[in-house]
Amino acid sequence: MSGIDEGKLREWVERLREAREIRRKYANWEFIKSQPPKLRVALEYFVETGDFRTAAAMAEMGVDEFVDLARYRAGIPLVY
Amino acid sequence: MSANAVADASFLIDWVKYSRSKLLFKLFEVVFISESVLAELRSEKTLTWVAQGLEEGRLAVLPEFPDASREALQLVSRSRRLPVRAVDYPEAYCMVIGRELGYTVLTENGGALAVRDYDPAFAGVEVLRALDVLYRLWRLGHLESFKEGLKLYEHETKRLYTARDLAKYGDAL
Repeated sequence: MSGIDEGKLREWVERLREAREIRRKYANWEFIKSQPPKLRVALEYFVETGDFRTAAAMAEMGVDEFVDLARYRAGIPLVY
Repeated sequence: MSANAVADASFLIDWVKYSRSKLLFKLFEVVFISESVLAELRSEKTLTWVAQGLEEGRLAVLPEFPDASREALQLVSRSRRLPVRAVDYPEAYCMVIGRELGYTVLTENGGALAVRDYDPAFAGVEVLRALDVLYRLWRLGHLESFKEGLKLYEHETKRLYTARDLAKYGDAL
């Protein structure tokens, strides 16, 4: 795609990969695995992608409600 | 720095958890929240903070402008063709408004932060994360210590800044 700064793009791919590793490391997996399927999958998706909006939609929650659950109860740090 | 800012959901849902959240209005006269962002919020604490800000005239709802909306959708589409986290519509709309109206964009969203860096069409937009807001508050004397202010913010919001994020403020930390 014209005009895109490829170097910056690669840097962000790496940044977001690091962010995923941090979420994976600190998440409370015991809590996540104990949730009903819809919420468990949404939390796992959030760990992998950081995409709180789609995760909240999966869980049928507001984005703020979902993020509160993810950070305070599932221990998932917010990184990007 | 612009007197006005536009905030997305990723910024707001963190910032309302910060015990010194009113400090935001030391930096900006008005913080706009788009209709699409407002529609996403459901928790009592977030909505109460927004309602108070609207009552006090420190927050304002930003309507959907058709031209900006169209451009935001184009940005969403472009970003989905790249091998990096895409920008969702609410953040894309904030970025377009930031560029067209000269408003500072307040976001923690990786997709929006990345766009500012890799897409030259948005390189001129001022995009701040809470980390940057706290730094500016400290520089203006509204926080006693940047390091302690940041520590409190991270504790209260569970936002985590990486070493890469913090590197630009190395001397102040």
